[in-house]
Parts: sequence; C-alpha cells; structure tokens
Amino acid sequence: MFSALWQSILEWLQTLFFQQEMELTILGLQNAGKTTLVNLISTGDFTDDRIPTVGFNMRRVQKGGVTLKMWDLGGQARFRTMWERYCRGVSAVVFVIDAADEDRFETARVELQDILSRRALDGIPVLVLANKSDLPGAIKDVDEMVDVFGLKDIHNHEVSVYSISAKNSTNIDVTLQWLIDHGSKKASSSTAAAVVSAPDPPSTSTIPPKPSS
Amino acid sequence: MVSDERALAKMKDEDLILSPFDGIEKGAVLQECRIFNDLQLNTRRCEQVLIRLLYLVGQGDHLSSEEATNVFFSVTKLFQANEPSLRRLVYLAIKELAHTAEEVIIVTNCLTKDINSDVDMYRANATRVLCKITDAQMVQQIERYLKQEIVDRNPVVASAALVSGQQLIMHNKGDVVRRWVNEVTQALDHKSPMVQYHALALLYLIKQHDRLAVSKLVQSMCRQGVRSPMATVLLIRYVARIIADEPPSQVQDAYGEPRPFFGFLEACLKHRSDVVIYEASRAIANLPNVTPTELQHAVSILQRFLVQPKPSLRFAAIRTLNQIASTMPLAVTSCNADMEVLIADHNRSIATLAITTLLRTGSENSIERLLKQIQTFLSDIADEFKVKVVSAIHALCIKYPSKYYALMNFLGNALREEGGFEFKRAIVDAYLGLMDKIPESKETCLSHLCEFIEDCEHTQLSTRILHLLGKEGPSMPEPGKYIRYIYNRLILENATVRAAAVSALSSFAAGSASESLRKSVAVLLRQSLMDSDDEVRDRATFFSKSLGLEAYQKHTGESRNPEEVSKMQEGTKNMLSLPCPIANLEAELLLYVASGNSEQAFDISSVSKAAMMSTAGHPTLETGDATNRQSALGRAQRGRPTPPADLAAEVLKVPDFTSLGRPFKSCPPKDLTEAETEYTAQVIVHLYESHVILEFVCVNTLNDQLLENVFVQVDTSAASGLGGMTIVPAARLAYGEPARNYVSIERTDDGEYPLGDLACTMKFIVKDVDPSTGEPDEEGYEDEYGLDDLPLTISNLMAKPAELPGSFKAAWEALGPDNEVADSFLLEQHDNVASAVKGMMALLGMAPCEGTEVANDRARGHILLMTGVFMPGIQVMLHSKFTVASDGVNLEIVLRSEDLSISEVLANSITGTE
Repeated sequence: MFSALWQSILEWLQTLFFQQEMELTILGLQNAGKTTLVNLISTGDFTDDRIPTVGFNMRRVQKGGVTLKMWDLGGQARFRTMWERYCRGVSAVVFVIDAADEDRFETARVELQDILSRRALDGIPVLVLANKSDLPGAIKDVDEMVDVFGLKDIHNHEVSVYSISAKNSTNIDVTLQWLIDHGSKKASSSTAAAVVSAPDPPSTSTIPPKPSS
Repeated sequence: MVSDERALAKMKDEDLILSPFDGIEKGAVLQECRIFNDLQLNTRRCEQVLIRLLYLVGQGDHLSSEEATNVFFSVTKLFQANEPSLRRLVYLAIKELAHTAEEVIIVTNCLTKDINSDVDMYRANATRVLCKITDAQMVQQIERYLKQEIVDRNPVVASAALVSGQQLIMHNKGDVVRRWVNEVTQALDHKSPMVQYHALALLYLIKQHDRLAVSKLVQSMCRQGVRSPMATVLLIRYVARIIADEPPSQVQDAYGEPRPFFGFLEACLKHRSDVVIYEASRAIANLPNVTPTELQHAVSILQRFLVQPKPSLRFAAIRTLNQIASTMPLAVTSCNADMEVLIADHNRSIATLAITTLLRTGSENSIERLLKQIQTFLSDIADEFKVKVVSAIHALCIKYPSKYYALMNFLGNALREEGGFEFKRAIVDAYLGLMDKIPESKETCLSHLCEFIEDCEHTQLSTRILHLLGKEGPSMPEPGKYIRYIYNRLILENATVRAAAVSALSSFAAGSASESLRKSVAVLLRQSLMDSDDEVRDRATFFSKSLGLEAYQKHTGESRNPEEVSKMQEGTKNMLSLPCPIANLEAELLLYVASGNSEQAFDISSVSKAAMMSTAGHPTLETGDATNRQSALGRAQRGRPTPPADLAAEVLKVPDFTSLGRPFKSCPPKDLTEAETEYTAQVIVHLYESHVILEFVCVNTLNDQLLENVFVQVDTSAASGLGGMTIVPAARLAYGEPARNYVSIERTDDGEYPLGDLACTMKFIVKDVDPSTGEPDEEGYEDEYGLDDLPLTISNLMAKPAELPGSFKAAWEALGPDNEVADSFLLEQHDNVASAVKGMMALLGMAPCEGTEVANDRARGHILLMTGVFMPGIQVMLHSKFTVASDGVNLEIVLRSEDLSISEVLANSITGTE
C-alpha cells in the first residue's frame, strides 16, 4: 500500500522536475559513427575504433534540463528492417551519414527515404548529420547534401541538415541545441504542432551556420 | 478468532482460493505489453505485466510468431530501465520468446553490455540469455566474453558461462566451445563445488565423441579426485558409461584381475557424501556381468541406507536392491531383515518395492507371512505397483510349486479387490501361467476364475476365461459345476460375452459322452436360439445342429446312438480348429487375394504348418557389443542386404516360380563368402514339395566393375534326391546394389531327400567401370568366382511348429507308437551333456519343448524333448536321453512321427557309434 503511494508521489515529483524527457532514434549505415556520436554526447569523450553494434544501444543522458533517451541502432543490413520498430512515437529521428564515403551515398539515400516514407513516422522531425567532416574529401556543403539525399522531396517531416565531426567535436553544440529544442517543443506543446510545421521547405529554415573550421 | 476460523475454512475449500494468476488471458496480456513502449516507464506495472506474460507462456499458451515478435520488441524497450528486478524479468521473457519471435538477435548488443557490467547478477543472466538467442555465426563474436567468464572468480558467473557452453553444444552452435578446453580445465580447480561440477560436465561434452580422450579425462579425474560431490557423481556416471561401452571381450581378458575403474568405484563407497555413495553403489549394481563378490560391498552400503530416516535414501536403496534382486536374488538376501521392516513404511512406494524384493529373495517358509502383510496394504497402492506385485507372486509360484495353494489364495483375494483392467489382466495371466506349469492347481484356478467372471466388468477378460473354461472344463472331474457359471453369463452379460458363453457351453457337449450332460446343455442352449444378437444365435444354431442337440430341444425324445454322437463331436472339433497357424493362413490369404485369381478356390490344406522364420533369429545383427555393431553398420552402408521379414517374400515375386506357391520352408540366409571379399553372396534355401529353390543374394563391392548376367552354377553330384535345374540369372550387378539370382532344382521321385553338399560357383561377365564417371566399358569378359559349399542337412528340411504343444506328454501319446523308432548311440565327439544337447538341436533343427533345451554343464544326465514339422508337413517328436559315459555321451532316442520312413531317416542322420 505505502510503497505504491510513495511510488506515485515520486513519479509526480519526477514529472515536475524532469518534465522534458525526449526519445531519439539514431539511424544510419554501418560505420557512419552513430555509436561514437552517442558516446560523445553522453560522456563528452571521443572514442575511436568501435566494434559494430549488434542490435541496439540504449543511452540515457541529462542535457540542459532535458533527459535524452537515445536508441542507437545497428547499421548493418540485417538490422535495417527493425529500425521502424524503434522509431514509432519518438521525439526525433537522427540519421547519421559518413560524409567521406561517397560510394555509399546512394544506399544511404534509399534507406533514409525508405524509413521516412513509413506512415508510422509521419510528422517526426528528422535531423540528418553528415559526420566525419574532418576527413579529406568529405562533403561539407549542406546544400549539396540536400541535393544528394533528396531532402527536398520529403514532405511530411521537418528535416534539418548539419555537417559535423564527432572526432573534432565540430558542430556538436548546435546539434545538441537542435535536439533540446525539439525535445522541449514536443514536451511542452503537442505532437500536432510538429506535424503542422512539417511541410515547410526544409533547406531555408534549417540551413545551419557554416562550419567554422 | 471467528474470522480466523472462517478464513481457515475458506482456505480448505480450494475453489475459493483465488490464485493471483486466475483469469489471465492472452489477448489482455498482449494489450498490456504496450505499456513497455510508454515514454515514461512505470517499472512496477511493467514487472507485473511481464510476470503475467511469463505465466502465460509457461502454461503453454501459444503465441504466434507475429505476436511473439511484437511482444519481444516491446520488451527490448525495457532495457532503458535499470531496476535489477525488472531486468531479471526481461531476461526471462527474452529466453521464453527466443524460439517463437523473429530477429531476437537485436538484443545482442544490450546483453554484451550487461556481460561487461560490474553487477554479477547481470553478467550471469545475460550470459545465459545471450547464448540462447545467438546463432552459430554470432557465437564467434561473443566467444571472448564467455572464455573470460569461465575463469571468473565469481562462481555464479563462471557456472553460467559453463552451462551456456553446454547449451551451445547441444543446440549445434558449439564449434567454438571445443576450443575452450584450457579455460574449462582451469575451471575444474575453481573453489566452488558448483563450478567444478559444471566444468566437468562441459569438458565431457566437448570430448564425448573421442573415446580415448574421454577415458583419459576420466582416468586423470579419478586419480586426482574431485572435491565437489556433484562432480564426483557425474564422474561415477561417466565411469559407468565407459565400462558399459567396453567391448565384452576386454572384460573377459581381464578375467581374474579387477576391472578398470572398479577401485575408483569402491573408493567412492567410502565418500562422506550420501549422493556419491549411492551413485557408486548403483553404478556397481549396473555393471555388466557383475559378480557377487563385486556386489558385496555395495549391497552392504545400501543395506545401511535402508534404515536411514530420510525417505529419499531408503527409496533409492530399496529400488536399487530390487533391481539387483531381479537378476541375483542371492546377493540381496542379507538385507531381508531390514527390508521386512520397510513393509510397514509410511511411504507406499518404499513398501511396495520392499515387498517385491522380498518376494524374489525370500525363502520358501517366509512366503505365507509376506503374503499376509501384502494383503493388508494392497488396496492402498497404485495399479502399476499392484501389477508388479502380481508378477512377483507369479514368479514365486513357479519357483516354489509346493506353495501354490497359499499364493493362489492370495491371487483369488486380489481378484476380488478393486483394480483396473491392467491389474486384473495381470492376475488372469498369472492364473493361466500357473495352470500350465502346475497341473494340480488347475481345479483351484478354474474355480477362482469362475467366481471372478460372476462379477467382471471387462468383456475381454470374460471371453478369455470362458474360452478357457470351454477348453479345460469338460476334462475336469466335475464338469457340471462350471456349466452353472457359464449359463449365468448367458443370461446376464452383453452379446460378446454371451457368444463366448455359447461356444464354451457347447464344448461341454462336444467333449463329453454323458447323455445327461448333453441333454442339459441342449436345454440351456435353447434360449440362445432366440437371442437378440446375430452372433449368439448363429453360434447356438450351429452347435445345436452339428452336435445333434436339436433332438433334445424339440422334445422328440428320440436319442442318437453313441457312435453317431462321437462322430458328430469329432466333426465339430475338426471344423473349429484350424489346420495351420493363423499367421501362415493370413499370409496365404493375402497372396491369394493379391493374385486376383478367384476362379480357383482357396485350398486351406496347402497352407504350411511350419512356423514362418523371422529376422529375429539372424545372429550377426543381434550381438550387442560395439565392434560387432560397427561392422554390421559398415556392412549396411556398403549395401549389404538385410533379410526381409518374410524370407520367402522375394522368391514369391519371381514369375517363374509363382506356380509353385509358398515354400514349405525358407531357411535363414547363409553366407557363402567371407565378409571382406570382392563379391559377397548369401543364400536362402526354399524348400517345396517338388523343388528346391536357392535364392542367391550377391553384392559387388568393387566400384570399378559392373557385372552382368550373374548366376551361380550349382554342382549337385555330391547330393542325393536332386534332378534337373533351371537358372534365373541377375541381369546386372552394379557396385553396392545387391541383386538376386535363383537356381531351381527339381527333386527326384524316388523318395530320397535333398541332402549333401552343393558346390557353388558364381559366373558373370565383367565390364570395367571408371569410378569417377560411372561409365562402363563396351567390352566385357567372362569370369567366375568360387563360393563356399552349401550343405543341405536334415535341419534344412525340418521346420519348427508355430505353436508348441501345451503338454509334450499328451501330444506324444496322441501321435502314438505306430511309427516309432528307438535307437541308442555313443557320441564320442562330446564330453559333456550340455554340448551334446546343443549339437543335437543344431543337427535336427527341431523346437525344444518344456524348457528342456537348457542343460547344466556338470549334469550327469539330461532329457531333451523336441518337436518339429518335417517336409512336407509331417509331425515329428523326439524323446532323447543323454547320460555321461567314460568315453563320451550316451544317447538314447525314441522318435515318433506320422511316417515310419521319416522316423528312420532322422534316426540315421544322427552320427555316432552304435
């Protein structure tokens, strides 16, 4: 009896203080740097040379009054069919691309378009991250990314693109800010608001500042 | 107080206790599982839902693959929570869903993370789950974690990894596990007994297919000793397995010296743990060909267990003693006093085992006391045990025939007890067995059984007993008293039993010459003539007519003369008994129907009276030792034919021989070559009235040859009674595929029997074959291959009858002394009775009767009774007496048959000096 009561009081307190809890799903082909990014966000350290994620990783992080729950999914082909199951009802989907791996851009585009065309994901804001901008030959131009990945053709999502480097921590701060903003928006207003704002052409409103380096 | 009592009353009424799991439904639970996807997890509720889900799956509720997959993915969301209790339930749920859900591999990463965490509970459980969901390819990636865990200090973690290794091997994902030998061996020295136990089990599993490695492992373990009692128990089992697998020849070689590992087993009997002591004594009791000396120590240990306060120990001990008693009752007699105490044990299973053991080991004078004790608790035990008790009593009756009266009374009481069909059938079987073995018990048996059918609910048993009454009743001193019981059945029972009663009743009229008896049977049958059931009426009418009973029924008063009556009785009896075994009749009828030739009537007299040979007697396949088994296996793989169940099946298919019908006898296959030769040949001899057909089964074991036009040339010059022959060759004999060819030899008309040696040569055309392509050459050349001689002996011509006579003496008298031949011989080639008996049986091929085939090695004399059917269906009986003489064995024979010449041929075939 008492423990149940105590539990409910605790939960109520929790909702007061940690109102802003957001769920993120991080997708992308294998070796795009998803797990590295998640580790960077949660620990602040860059760790290289990760073994491939078999299945998924789950991370909880407190950032600026928002609790981030990150589902970091494996990028190998056998896991891509399962992505959708972890995208339903999340606050945002982050799609990580290896900007230096031009050969797999096409595959990444197909996978991105495919997952975003699912009805279950309608209205969920999407953040596309072109990772590894520190590598030579990496695409850093955001407009080019929008063209290559056909981001203008996506209509039922709010799509933003950033060029980042997890290794050099380039643009990680803006990424975090984007995430926190979308988390709070979702928590404070309703999901409907996100849907309404979706049809905006993404390139204009969401072009990030040019990388400083 | 009052409310307390009420609560108690409620507790007693089981229906009122509400289980927390009452009313759990699959649909509802699957709905509830959606809360796992909530943004804000309520861990307590999640736990409850998971518990309900586990209950559901545990109860055997089937989730479809889609349902399971959906639930599974929801469950994976719970990895975000860190509560240990919730995590534990998540582990369990994943394990339960692993088989039905798809893509369970998705949790691999989470589990690997848990394995690397610092919470030991997580590490152990995650290991078990991970090994469950992983596939053979993924195992490689997690191998290093498992290897680390095996040598972990924490016993729970190490054991989890070891047990998971076993699981991997058992589910064929264990190729990597075989590389862990070093780590597992290290775990054997772990200070926790549990880890030692699991390590030993895994190590054995890794090496189990390598006999030498297993034996080395066990040997070294035996020497250095294991601290964990459970591991010791395991070790004892492995030792027992090694001993059991050892080819018996080695055991014989080591005759006199202790068998390998026996010292270890004996040492384990002194272990401080009861489990180990028990396991060791059980292993000793189960040793193949265990000797009384070897058993002695183990039995005395078990005896000590019999008086322990723990029921499990007493049960284990008495069970093993019971097992020993079934083969070596003498070894257990020392425990008799202790076992008698156990009859009063609260635990019925212990008491029953004690009784059945005592019944085996007890001496003659303790039987009555034992019976009294069993009587008191027979109604309390389960049917299964009752059957055991009855069969023990049955065995006892045969062992001590003089006690039959007391034992029979016990059985009679048991018949009156409550009990199921199996139990009653066991008793009836026991009665039937006793009547056979102990003729003086017949009357008591019949009266007990009569009483039983007065109140018997099992139709099958009633009809069986009625048949028995019909068979035995008329020859009993007072046949009249059985008629009353049978008549009651006519009035009271169902149609099946009534029909059996009519037959039984009629057999009294058929078996007795007494006018008054016939008359009363006729009167009793009258009402059955108007029975509502067809079968009953038909039988009553048939018997009334054929036995001439209508006269009494119609009150015409005229009586028939006794001669006419006995003729009618004879006729009825003949009509009712089949002249041949039913199995043979069935086979013939099937053949007749298959032939489609319904113009010609089926002739029952053509059915063979001999027993059909079956494969059971084939010697090479029956010996159970490992080497022989392997070679038998090897043969089968090389395409060696195994004989079909019906030996004549193949020959009946050959169009040239269909006109001959079924052979009188088909002899078991005989090898005409050594096992490892270029070509092998077996022969099956089929005997017909006018022909002898030899069926050769040849195998070509050379893969670079194709044989064509294969046949066997047979030289009959050294044999008697054989004329012209026809050859049916095999067109083609390819590598590894057996092919059959036949030689049909006509028998001569001069009354000579086909006896003597036949020289056989296999002839064929060889074509060379390229083994890689299988293409034969165009050109072939003729070649031949010598086979062993085929001897035709008396035993080839003799068949064993399908049914042995119930009483040799009665059958002997019935055959009569008309064609009797008596002779005596001195068998110099034998120096003891046993070998002479064996030789005699092999020579004549007749069936021994009444257990006379077993002769003691040291006996001074022995009597062997045999019966057989000689071609083409003549009954032969032999009474032979063996006595040991100074220069051999003296043999006196008396042969009776339906044909004097056959008696003479048989007598002449016995070689010895007169």
